Amino acid sequence: MSVRFAGVSFRYPGADEDALRNVTLAFQPGEVTLLTGTSGAGCSTLLLTAAGLAPHVTGGTRTGEVDTLGVDPMTESGRQALAGRIGVLLATPWTQLSGMAYTVHDEVAFGPANLGWDREEIRAHVHESMKVAGVSHLAQRDPRTLSGGELQRVMFAGVMAMAPDLYLLDEPAAELDPAAAGDLYAMLSTLALDRAVVVASTDVDRLAEVVDRVVELEHGAVVADGPPAVVLGAAAAVERGTAPTVAVIAHRAGVPPDYPTSVAMAARRWSA
Amino acid sequence: MIIGYVAGEGLLHRAHPFTSLTIAAGVTLLAFALPGTLSPWVLAGMLVVLAVAAGLTGAVVTTLVFSAPLWVFLGIIYGVFGTDWAVAAVYAGRISAILLAFLLALAAVHPGRLVDALVARRVSFAIAYLLAATLQAVPRLQHRAATILEAQRCRGLRTGGSPWRRIRSIVPLAIPLVQGALAEADDRAVALEVRGAVSGCARTPLSPPRDHLLDRVVRWGTVLVVLAAVVLRVVT
Amino acid sequence: MTVLAFEHVWFGYGLHPVLRDVSFSLAAGETAALVGRNGAGKTTITRLVMGLEHPDQGQVTLKGEATASRKPEEIARHAAYVFQHPDQQLFGRTVGTEVAFGSRQLGRPPEEVASLVRESLRALGLEHRSDTHPYDLPPAERKLVTLAAALAQDPDLLVVDEPTQGLDRVQRDRVIGVMQAVASRGVAVLAVTHDVVVVAEALDRAIAIADGAIAYDGPSATLLCDESLTESLGLEQPSTVRLAMALGMRQAPVRLQNAAVALARHLEAEG
Repeated sequence: MSVRFAGVSFRYPGADEDALRNVTLAFQPGEVTLLTGTSGAGCSTLLLTAAGLAPHVTGGTRTGEVDTLGVDPMTESGRQALAGRIGVLLATPWTQLSGMAYTVHDEVAFGPANLGWDREEIRAHVHESMKVAGVSHLAQRDPRTLSGGELQRVMFAGVMAMAPDLYLLDEPAAELDPAAAGDLYAMLSTLALDRAVVVASTDVDRLAEVVDRVVELEHGAVVADGPPAVVLGAAAAVERGTAPTVAVIAHRAGVPPDYPTSVAMAARRWSA
Repeated sequence: MIIGYVAGEGLLHRAHPFTSLTIAAGVTLLAFALPGTLSPWVLAGMLVVLAVAAGLTGAVVTTLVFSAPLWVFLGIIYGVFGTDWAVAAVYAGRISAILLAFLLALAAVHPGRLVDALVARRVSFAIAYLLAATLQAVPRLQHRAATILEAQRCRGLRTGGSPWRRIRSIVPLAIPLVQGALAEADDRAVALEVRGAVSGCARTPLSPPRDHLLDRVVRWGTVLVVLAAVVLRVVT
Repeated sequence: MTVLAFEHVWFGYGLHPVLRDVSFSLAAGETAALVGRNGAGKTTITRLVMGLEHPDQGQVTLKGEATASRKPEEIARHAAYVFQHPDQQLFGRTVGTEVAFGSRQLGRPPEEVASLVRESLRALGLEHRSDTHPYDLPPAERKLVTLAAALAQDPDLLVVDEPTQGLDRVQRDRVIGVMQAVASRGVAVLAVTHDVVVVAEALDRAIAIADGAIAYDGPSATLLCDESLTESLGLEQPSTVRLAMALGMRQAPVRLQNAAVALARHLEAEG
């Protein structure tokens, strides 16, 4: 078990309401989970809490128990133990630049260098990650000159290069065009071979076909947790505005729930 | 106009980061310690030669752009009103020499290499990173300010015209700049944390700067010259 | 009436041309999507519209006047631009003052400004946020604030860059509604977007840029139904079209409501 939440609530400093309310769930290795909900539902906060960044960097108060890779990320010793073991990707790639690298290669190598790996090991991991992320051709470019999409893929390579035991990704394809986004999502199940991958995103249409499990949040609480077809195909998901387009079409066509959540599923159900 | 690191392969780029910084600090002290009206100008002249040799003439241009208005100002205050042109010349010379020395250091010192150089000397990564980030603060703010200016102009913000209007136009530029910088500082703290910067491990330098004999000679030479100048100044 | 026209525009930074002989025009009330791969030249086109850049050759005219002789703050009288990343613009102490900023800068009388602000906030579901500090809002709502601010400028041309990025479905539908509403009032809309749902629902025309030149300029529905063309532009066909094709339907509806009706009919016919 990679992450376990037991009765976790979290409130940002100065906020009127909890951003997470009594959340209890667990993420297992080998699983790609989509964390979704309407804007402000708490998906980003949940990722930050699992990583210990909330409350350590964001401030605020957390109650309940969090266990990430065997430690509580809120404690000092927990944070030390987790250094470099969690691959976190924020939705805004340019804010994650190290500011110390003048080539993409050095930017990707920043994380491994901080972990004290030897240069050969760093080189091998950087080379491999850049290849997987499709940014090898950018190796000698100045990171400040990259487009939003290129930068997001470079940051992804930077996260992979640290060979983390857990991936927490917040809108990892936000800046990418549809073709590149599809490529990135297709990579997720490979990453999950022996670790947990959690993606917070509103891109349900594409991710419904790729993930193993969907956890839906509303106002900070878990309202659904299960296979994509069950969670996203439910009438409740359509009502909440979190269902994929195919499900919405089916709903409006008068089909009874549970609705198909992808074109492929609809074709299987309704083709002659 | 360039303030901050400029990619290159010249003399100062190949030198150890501490060398450029030592020269900048040395010039600052010498500008005050050396006697005579013209000595700051001699220093500035030597730096111009160094800039050209190192392929960093942009720094000279930037220095001129910032110094020239100050020269005029000093000339008016001390020359015209104070009738002491010598003092005006000394102050103008000092400002120009010091500015040029630091611009050269900023242009030639790659923040990543500076951090590696500091970490190799057992400075903690956190302090080294903070220093490097400070060096980059100005170019980053410049870039951000330009972006914000564009956005606000597209909303009708007029930046020219009367002094009062110019002053008022600062608010919609300054506030996003500051708030953006603060938000970015928060995000950067998150980024550093997740990229292992708090791991407590000794960081592996990616391209450790080599400290040549010439570097050490120049640094120690600068220190000796400064000491000599200070002693002379005190004694005479 | 033509609001915006590009006539044989060439533009580049340094030696390499980013835009090559681009020509198109946009009439009042017309809605157009600017699509293409990242780096194809879409953002450059919007910068040329706003006078942030000027063409090397050819001409960009807004309401009959060339942009080359005008500054962005003058062009703002007729065109409002919503940048891709909202945090570049936000500075007001409250959402209300933020949304009013552009309109006030353009010298509109206070009562008109107040009314424009009220309407814009209502259109984007932000009325209850009027006194909130923009930086206290979640990122998605900050984006809606910048759109509200552009609407409050009461422009003849609305230029938006990735208007639905980061928004949930409900917010996206609001943005679609807003674009449809302003178009029906005679405002021309030019939207740079990868979101084919927005293209399908709100943007009648598609202008596709590939390698700095126009690869397609015509009805967006036709583009979205063309599998090879959409793929070559780095886009995906919307679920509405793909569903129809997967079920062997003769016609591929592009809009959600039409897709639902077509599906109902298809299932009935299939028995």
